[in-house]
Amino acid sequence: MSEGMETRVIMISPSSHITPDQLTRMIHMSGKKVTVKETCYGCLVEGPSETVREIRDEIRNLDPNGIFSKVRAYPCGDQRRCRAKHGTRPGYAQLETEWKALSYIKIGLDASNRGEKPKEVTQKKQLSVTKFKKICEVG
Amino acid sequence: MIRIAQLSCGTEYSGIQFEIEKAARSVGAKIVYPDVSAEDINEAVDRFGFDPKSPQLKLMIARAVQLADDRYDADAVFITTCFRCAEASLVRNELRRFIQENTRLPVVTYSFTERLKSSQLLTRMEALVTIVERKDLLSRTRQTGLTAGLDSGSSTTKAVIMKDNKILGKSWASTGDVVQSATTVLKEAMEQADVKPKDIEAIGTTGYGRFTLGKYFNAKLVQEELTVNSKGAAWLAGKQSGEATIIDIGGMDNKAITVRDGIPDNFTMGGVCAGASGRFLEMTAKRLRINIADLGSYAVKGNWINAKMNSYCSVFGIQDLVTTLGEGKPFEDVAAAACHSVAEQVYEQQLQEIDVRHPIIQVGGTSLNAGLVKAIGEILGEPPIVPPDSQYIGAVGGALLSSGFL
Amino acid sequence: MKVFIDPPNSMILFDLVERFGHEPLCAMIALREMVNNTEIDMPPMNISLDDVVKGLKYAGIEVPSGIRGRLAVWGPLIEEADAAIIMEDAPFAFGCVGCERSNQMVKYLIKKRGIPVVHVSYPENEEQGKLIVSKIKEFFEKLKEIS
Repeated sequence: MSEGMETRVIMISPSSHITPDQLTRMIHMSGKKVTVKETCYGCLVEGPSETVREIRDEIRNLDPNGIFSKVRAYPCGDQRRCRAKHGTRPGYAQLETEWKALSYIKIGLDASNRGEKPKEVTQKKQLSVTKFKKICEVG
Repeated sequence: MIRIAQLSCGTEYSGIQFEIEKAARSVGAKIVYPDVSAEDINEAVDRFGFDPKSPQLKLMIARAVQLADDRYDADAVFITTCFRCAEASLVRNELRRFIQENTRLPVVTYSFTERLKSSQLLTRMEALVTIVERKDLLSRTRQTGLTAGLDSGSSTTKAVIMKDNKILGKSWASTGDVVQSATTVLKEAMEQADVKPKDIEAIGTTGYGRFTLGKYFNAKLVQEELTVNSKGAAWLAGKQSGEATIIDIGGMDNKAITVRDGIPDNFTMGGVCAGASGRFLEMTAKRLRINIADLGSYAVKGNWINAKMNSYCSVFGIQDLVTTLGEGKPFEDVAAAACHSVAEQVYEQQLQEIDVRHPIIQVGGTSLNAGLVKAIGEILGEPPIVPPDSQYIGAVGGALLSSGFL
Repeated sequence: MKVFIDPPNSMILFDLVERFGHEPLCAMIALREMVNNTEIDMPPMNISLDDVVKGLKYAGIEVPSGIRGRLAVWGPLIEEADAAIIMEDAPFAFGCVGCERSNQMVKYLIKKRGIPVVHVSYPENEEQGKLIVSKIKEFFEKLKEIS
């Protein structure tokens, strides 16, 4: 992959109404010179960095807080990371796990847009030995 | 193509994944990773019962469970983790046991550093492939026809002539030029057996020089020493069925192999430390100015405790022995300490990577050293069986297996 | 502002940093340079012996090679960062962040650099989702005020 190119993983939050198919169609229809590959969770987009970022911003308009992205080290279809060739790549299970949490982030972003300020729940503290002793004595 | 399932941690960031795949490719195999999902990982770790902190080790466990449940198709297993990582080392060993208890797949474990090169893995990978591809050949228990076996080791070259399951001739010599040494010992063995070169129906070669000899002698069998030596050891010891552990301390490396019906299912091979090889004993004998053949008989009469060594190293450890002699300690104790040191190193470096099964069969040139056999027995709590002609395992294995091509 | 994210391959953190207008420093970008290096052919990541040796800057020879290799890639990113976000208790982190000892060392290196850091927890419910976004947003607002 030449310099200035970027591959991006686009993921749709499980709670979003957008489908990977809608996403890829929209990118295709934009007529921009990029490679698009539909995935189970969204799609992969590859092309000049600037164009890829433009696409990121455009597709976010479909569901501003429900579509997420990160760059990928490997180009689309790179044999070195091909599932068919080797089996799942090491980071696959992590993406799978993070995808499930995206609906919580969507809720967080929606709340932030509404100006909500959640309070941090205090950490659980261990029971003091004295208290625990008292409980045991009562029992 | 043979599919070797890799269960590993740290190979990519150590820059050695490429070397692993290169080694597999060069023996006609392919490295694969059993497919797992995030949910599989949770379940697998729960079931396995060991919950490591490092997630990659959890992934290794999940991949092993896929193999155990027959949900992923592989022919052999390669378990490898970073050298000096305690957590990974625990998981590596327990997973090896788990795979052995739950599958019939051959497995090899390895702990690597960033300096690993594919050539270091070649024999191990080749052995995995042989076990899978040549199962029928390896289950041969009798030698037939008239065949020869050549074992080109780092220290010595051995030749054996066999006919109808009997050894007719045998010879060994120090390894110099690979072809020349083999030609000499083969000639001597043939003379002893009273056979002519044209009578020999097949030749099998093994050891470091196997490829060169295979080509030169037009051998029917050219095979790594792990499987060939196991076969030879099982035949010589008359233990062709059931389980056993084979300990082969060679001139340059050492092998510990567990076998089931004469076929290896787990093995380790060490080759980075002279202190854990026959070379240490050779150097000791040279430094003490005694014949290597006499070292063992001195050692059995001595007590290693009286000549403590501060190092296993073939330079500093041997220096300790010389100093001890200077202090007036008997020669026997010093020889015993040298043997004990090698045995202890083999125990620490190799035998921790396999589960020792009984009986223990000790073979290779060093098994002629009674002091080393005694030391191994003391450390393992059971005297090993040393079969007759125990230094000829490779050559016998070569002759036996090559008869399968007749 | 250049922001190091930990776990360095997290999609959630990468997205949030970009969304709030900053540049995430992550494993993917460092590795992209390596995998695209046509002069080295050491698949899959093109990490070579030289890289692992570079890791000696962060950890001694007695430290496993996988840790030194990781630190060789992430260490320079931490040195380049203006700020960092650390996500605690990520339920699973695989591949790049599969080694817990490396992950501990990364957190330590961030602390040692003394750059502004915000700690968030991996979201397991809606409230935690809200908290992550709010904490990160607030962190960037404060940094803006300071600068």
